[in-house]
Amino acid sequence: MTRARRALTVPLVALLAVACSSNGAAPHDPGKVVFSGKHVAVSGKLYATKGRSLYRFSGTHLTSLLAGVMVKDPAVTVDGARLAFAQLQEQSSAIVVSDANGKARQTITPSSAPEGALWAFAPHYSDDGQQIVYLTDRGKQPSSPQNLQPNDLGVWSCDLRSGHSERLVAPVLYTGGDSDPVFRPGVNDQLFFTTYLYGGAPLQPVARLTWMSTASKAITYLSPDLARNFQPTFSPDGRFVAYIRAGVGSDDLYVMPLGPTFSREPRPYPTEGALLLQSGIISQPVWAPDGRAVAFLKLVNGSFDLFILPVSTDGTIHPTGPAEAVTHGSFLDADSRLAWSP
Amino acid sequence: MSHSGVTGVPGATGPSRTQWLVITAALVGLALIVGGLLYLLPVLQLLGAHDAAPVRGVPAPAHAPPPLDSKQRINILLLGSDNDQKFQQDALLSQTMIVVSVDPAHHQVTLLSLPRDLWVDIPGHGIGKIDLAYARGGAPLARATVEKAFRIPIHYYAWIGLKGLVRVVDRVGGIDVDVVHPVLDDNYPNDFNDSGYGTERVYIAAGPQHLDGRHALQYVRSRHGDLLSDFGRSIRQQQVLLAVRQRAEGMDLVTALPTFARDLNGHVKTDLDLVRVTQLGLFMRGLGGGDVRQAFITPYVRDATSPDGQQILLADWPAINRYLRQLFGAELLP
Repeated sequence: MTRARRALTVPLVALLAVACSSNGAAPHDPGKVVFSGKHVAVSGKLYATKGRSLYRFSGTHLTSLLAGVMVKDPAVTVDGARLAFAQLQEQSSAIVVSDANGKARQTITPSSAPEGALWAFAPHYSDDGQQIVYLTDRGKQPSSPQNLQPNDLGVWSCDLRSGHSERLVAPVLYTGGDSDPVFRPGVNDQLFFTTYLYGGAPLQPVARLTWMSTASKAITYLSPDLARNFQPTFSPDGRFVAYIRAGVGSDDLYVMPLGPTFSREPRPYPTEGALLLQSGIISQPVWAPDGRAVAFLKLVNGSFDLFILPVSTDGTIHPTGPAEAVTHGSFLDADSRLAWSP
Repeated sequence: MSHSGVTGVPGATGPSRTQWLVITAALVGLALIVGGLLYLLPVLQLLGAHDAAPVRGVPAPAHAPPPLDSKQRINILLLGSDNDQKFQQDALLSQTMIVVSVDPAHHQVTLLSLPRDLWVDIPGHGIGKIDLAYARGGAPLARATVEKAFRIPIHYYAWIGLKGLVRVVDRVGGIDVDVVHPVLDDNYPNDFNDSGYGTERVYIAAGPQHLDGRHALQYVRSRHGDLLSDFGRSIRQQQVLLAVRQRAEGMDLVTALPTFARDLNGHVKTDLDLVRVTQLGLFMRGLGGGDVRQAFITPYVRDATSPDGQQILLADWPAINRYLRQLFGAELLP
């Protein structure tokens, strides 16, 4: 065989080998929300975003809200009458409240301040709908390439009656700050959120579930160091917390019961007795308003899709059936919260 | 009666059935070869773009690549650089240095990140940060520097620029990553504006999510808001590399390859040839999650300041050598 023929034959044979081993097309974003074949009906109204557009699932209907507005982290009042969300701009974001259809919008946080442009994300309503907790980098030091300063996110609250905002939690610097703030249902003075830290030697990223009394400002970790537990969501009665626990190559959905209050760091941590609800790559769990299901986004074949897992909290908590896919191949925004109202 | 033009000549015999078969087979073969060449051209162009010429004063690679049918370890030095307008094309620092070590005998791949600020001997250039080697002598000097400092034989290299990474991630349809900490950076270098200078604000929420090319680049590149600084960046770089591999597993490479190659032309350089790329691709496809080992030398380095005032990392070489022996066994250079 001549050298030229060999040079041609080898790559062609090699390509044939690759052809024989190909697994098909890469998953592709269809650019729209696609329902699964089973047409799972959503009870109440469930909000999610795709490509920063807000969608409402109800029954087997889908409604697009807030056309032209870049939305992240929708939230809804307990009665479903009011929405809150982060409205994204080019280099900043602000918390906006509106009615349930996205009308009568009002911006409640600044998108810039003397310290520079600001981020605001992850709003969550109190039971009475009069307070919102959210994340922002407000209060940071001005930063420039010559004088770099951190801009970690802290937890703030806004009283919607007075419009007054205050910082509840100062973030640990150079961690990215805190995430996922939620009020505990049924009480007026308890918060839950994720604290991002570094632990171990050598240092490694850590995420801890954190309880806070807004009355005393006391803060207590409810998950161990050297682990990543995050994205807590309360059952409507405030007795259970579902959350994500990072494992080796997975982000599983767990649930744990929670004591009424905490005066010191509990040992063992409540997370150590938590129950695995769903394994896989899971994100943004949210409890149904009637407490009978948990919705979440799950990575399946390269797409984050909406799933609903029926659960029972009678006695011990447990799933009452398999998780059902509401969407299929829809590439929903897994970095944006879900919200669910009656 | 005169005949104009040619008509069938009674009694003349045409090509036999066998001759027709041969002609048809030859035409089909020719079409296949031409089609194959057209298909392969962008791929071959891409693979042909590399620093092939030996550089004066730079030691030659310590070892030739193992034969194709060998079970010997193959080490590839993966380099990533700024390549936007503000840098000379021939003076790029390597912001990323990862040794990808493929071990066919044990069906395993090791990713070893080398911190860019590590203070090492750069052959022919004295002591400096390891990221300077690529700027001073391209891939050959980066390879020689790694071989000298770590005693790891480097058989191939692959360099990718910023836009190359963005295109790779976009071409595989984005990647799925568990972002371990929120990423916030008010002074992230805006690489793609007209001047190449200026900054932009970056926010990437923590948790599992899908990233497009631009956000994947921000994720691997930002370090201002990370207490772990370069180590944090190394973790993120390996995470993205593994996510790209996972995503590519689901692709039809045969149809994607030429477009992929055209997209990456000018943004990737490598001395890997097509056959080796194919061999490695097939090997990677057969790997499970547990077959990939992530390695960092972070525990064996400490912060320091160089005599000229640079923030650098000093290595505990005996500890690093012990660690590398665990990773590479007897396959280190003497």
